[in-house]
Amino acid sequence: MSRIDMGTITRKMVELAQQKGAEMSEAYGLDARELSIDVSQGVVETMKLAEDRGVGLRIFKKGRMGYAYTSDLDEKVLESTVERAIANAVWTGEDPYHVLPSKVEAYPHVDTFDPEISKTAVEEKINLAKEIEAAARATDERVKITERSNYQDAEYTVSIVNSRGIDASYRGAYCGAYAYLVAEENGENQTGFALSYGLRFSDIDPTKVGQEAANKAVRMLGAKRIASKRMPVLLDPYVVTQFMGILTPALTAEAVQKGKSPLAGKKDQIVASDILTLVDDGRLEGRIASAPFDGEGVPSSRTVLIEDGILKNYLHNSYTARKEGAISTGNGTRGSFRGTPEVGTTNFYLQAGQETQEGLMAGIDYGFYVTEVMGMHTANPISGDFSIGASGLLIEKGRLTTPVRGVAIAGNLMELLQNIDGIGNDLTFFVGKGAPTVRITSLPVSGD
Amino acid sequence: MSQSLEKDGLQEILDIAMSHGGDFADIYIEKKALNGIGCEDNKIERINSGTDAGAGIRVIAGDSTAYAYTNDVSFDGLAHAARVASHGARGDQVRKSRDLSTPLAPVDLSVQLRPDEVAIEKKVEKVLAANQHARTLDDRIKQVTVGFGDIIQQVTIANTEGVFVEDERIRSRFIVHAVAADGSLIQTGYEALGGSVGFEIFEEEAPEDIAQKAVDRALLMLEAKPAPSGTMPVVMAAEAGGTMVHEACGHGLEADLVQKGLSVYGGQKGQEVASPLVTVIDDGTIRGKYGTIRFDDEGTKGQKNVLIEKGVLKEFMYDRFTASKEKRESTGNGRRESYQHKPVPRMTNTLIAAGDEDPSAIIKDTKEGLLVKKMGGGQVNTTNGDFVFDVAEGYIIKDGEIVHAVRGATLTGNGPEVLRKVDRVGKDLGYAIGTCGKEGQGVPVSDAQPTMRIQSLIVGGTGGAPDSPNKKLPALANILSDGTPRIRRL
Repeated sequence: MSRIDMGTITRKMVELAQQKGAEMSEAYGLDARELSIDVSQGVVETMKLAEDRGVGLRIFKKGRMGYAYTSDLDEKVLESTVERAIANAVWTGEDPYHVLPSKVEAYPHVDTFDPEISKTAVEEKINLAKEIEAAARATDERVKITERSNYQDAEYTVSIVNSRGIDASYRGAYCGAYAYLVAEENGENQTGFALSYGLRFSDIDPTKVGQEAANKAVRMLGAKRIASKRMPVLLDPYVVTQFMGILTPALTAEAVQKGKSPLAGKKDQIVASDILTLVDDGRLEGRIASAPFDGEGVPSSRTVLIEDGILKNYLHNSYTARKEGAISTGNGTRGSFRGTPEVGTTNFYLQAGQETQEGLMAGIDYGFYVTEVMGMHTANPISGDFSIGASGLLIEKGRLTTPVRGVAIAGNLMELLQNIDGIGNDLTFFVGKGAPTVRITSLPVSGD
Repeated sequence: MSQSLEKDGLQEILDIAMSHGGDFADIYIEKKALNGIGCEDNKIERINSGTDAGAGIRVIAGDSTAYAYTNDVSFDGLAHAARVASHGARGDQVRKSRDLSTPLAPVDLSVQLRPDEVAIEKKVEKVLAANQHARTLDDRIKQVTVGFGDIIQQVTIANTEGVFVEDERIRSRFIVHAVAADGSLIQTGYEALGGSVGFEIFEEEAPEDIAQKAVDRALLMLEAKPAPSGTMPVVMAAEAGGTMVHEACGHGLEADLVQKGLSVYGGQKGQEVASPLVTVIDDGTIRGKYGTIRFDDEGTKGQKNVLIEKGVLKEFMYDRFTASKEKRESTGNGRRESYQHKPVPRMTNTLIAAGDEDPSAIIKDTKEGLLVKKMGGGQVNTTNGDFVFDVAEGYIIKDGEIVHAVRGATLTGNGPEVLRKVDRVGKDLGYAIGTCGKEGQGVPVSDAQPTMRIQSLIVGGTGGAPDSPNKKLPALANILSDGTPRIRRL
């Protein structure tokens, strides 16, 4: 099937918007193909193949912004989309800081496309998902149910054109696999999961994914509640990345400017333990959120947000940067053509420390190793308060002992940052966020 | 866009989808017109209008499903997707689809004021009214965010069993979020209104009233004390909404999870799984509610299903695929976020039915505990039944009286355990709206419950025990650990 080139469409939309009276305009086009394979009991349960494309238009007129998008690329619909964006700009508030980035001479070279992904036959991808499940079941006979063993990949082209001379595009691809499993013993069921996402097909190790998910499920069998107590807590890398998700808004200049960030006004101050360094890097090699430019066409960059516990920078897009005379950090992110660029993270990670996981546990007489949390989305990113369900393993005399489930941990994220007293050397990425194991001096654990 | 496909065209697409064999195929064509208005920092920041069009083709052969979707909803585009799907799931025999015919809609969902017939400035006016009202109420209100969204979704659904449905769903929602600050303390309050309604949504509640509720909640949380932690009786007010029923049992009653062995409720039909005071219903036919549907996303009529009756598990929620595995009918719960997703069993409007007690008596009879007046979000592990949800507005109850507000509480429990511990059920019923996420798909739902009491639930807070030790409570002993928080132990 023939496809109209997205570059042509975005250029035409900007031209049309300018003709119809926009003072500045920007079109963002996305053209993507996706494949997703779910395997259970050695059978392909669901195979999904998708094509998704569309264009979003942002226009400015008299200091006001209007937005409209469409996935219907028919010429008439494109024209009415331009008209709607302009009509919407009549009713939004006037804002002197609205701006679009100007032409960029050269973008950084970022490798975002592994041709192996599309060259690899579907059968091989199906086999990969089957291998994950087989590896999991071979790990332990108590692994009895596969909720899902999945392989997924996507190939996409991003095009961005604006009336200030930006006309750029890049092609990207990523792939990944994950497994959700259930281990069963004496009528008790416990779940375990593992994932691996990256830019290269050859980086996925199905055996590792399967074994990890299986071990996680099996070790939770027999889990019980523990008595309420304040105790040292070790957070698994995945759990740390979930906390980082709650911290993200606080690190955006947008939240700071709107008085919604607990980190507002704290630049160059101590906001965390001196062993903590947090970085956002839109060019990180081999990582899934890497790209030559962000959702506004600003070159990607590396931004140190917190260094040795001191708040160094906030994340900016063009708007927030202009508002305080700063330079955009290339964090004008957008998930799709369906929305305006916001301020967000790219590859966001907590820098690895020196200690092994065993080393982090060694000094703990009685503590809790948290491997899974529930309800993190209910934490409050503005106040930093969190109170979430948790499960994991008990640490006794420096060693992991019995599994624990159904308890709650609570606190404030800003205090948690100060109470980090150990960072592991096991930095692990989960899609766009990465973290090592982290030790917290103490947290209240609510149980029986 | 090319003109919509006629019946003959759809039938032809279904035949292409089945050309490599299979048991079932369906087409889901969707066209959405959306509007979103966002106000923050005392001005309208963004207005976004979208057109989303696409189609998904599904082919089922045995236990395998192939799903292909595309933005190209022309005959050629659909035919291409159908061919792709036909290769993904192959069966032994090629079936011809039945002639398409349309079932009758069970519920009237017509709206009074269609979103596309209301000018954008009228919508902007409502948003600004809420914003202005919220900002005049108290100096401690530092930020107000108001969001308005409406959607007109037109769907065409056709399948090889002969179902042919053309439906239009209209929904509107309005959300106010307030940030209050006092010194270094920052707290937030939130209130949302939404339904399968058009612009008449504001007849139910004025924008100013919604703003008032959000502001009051934020201010209350400034005054609130840290929530206690430990196990205690919990009274949930009807107005708290139904997050608990949604998490504690709703997800575990979805047939796909049950069939895969991923639900604690599996194999328990006909058994007692809850207190006899508990009746759980999923009802897609309540007019105007956020989760209401004329037809689900597979063309099955929306239904009222009694899932748990007086404590006894009666029914699970099915889509076509899970229903066919048990050779039964779908319960009308086959839903999907968009054409980009295959349908799976989902809730619509889920509620615990009202009982016969006076709600105020339930609080009065509670010696010590937590009163939940507004619930936030929640999450469940259906495999073991453990759930958690956030308390957006909570109070300490002492000797049957509401003593003071608490903040930062989360309730943690196990679905079947908690439902057995329900010992009082009020005669009132309160709804809340939400977007329910499962397998990465969000669908609009509403939940409801009466005022009810759970004998004991784990409260996760940061503040230790309430002011005085709860010595009066039988079976509760206080222990002191590490000096700081006082923790209670059952």
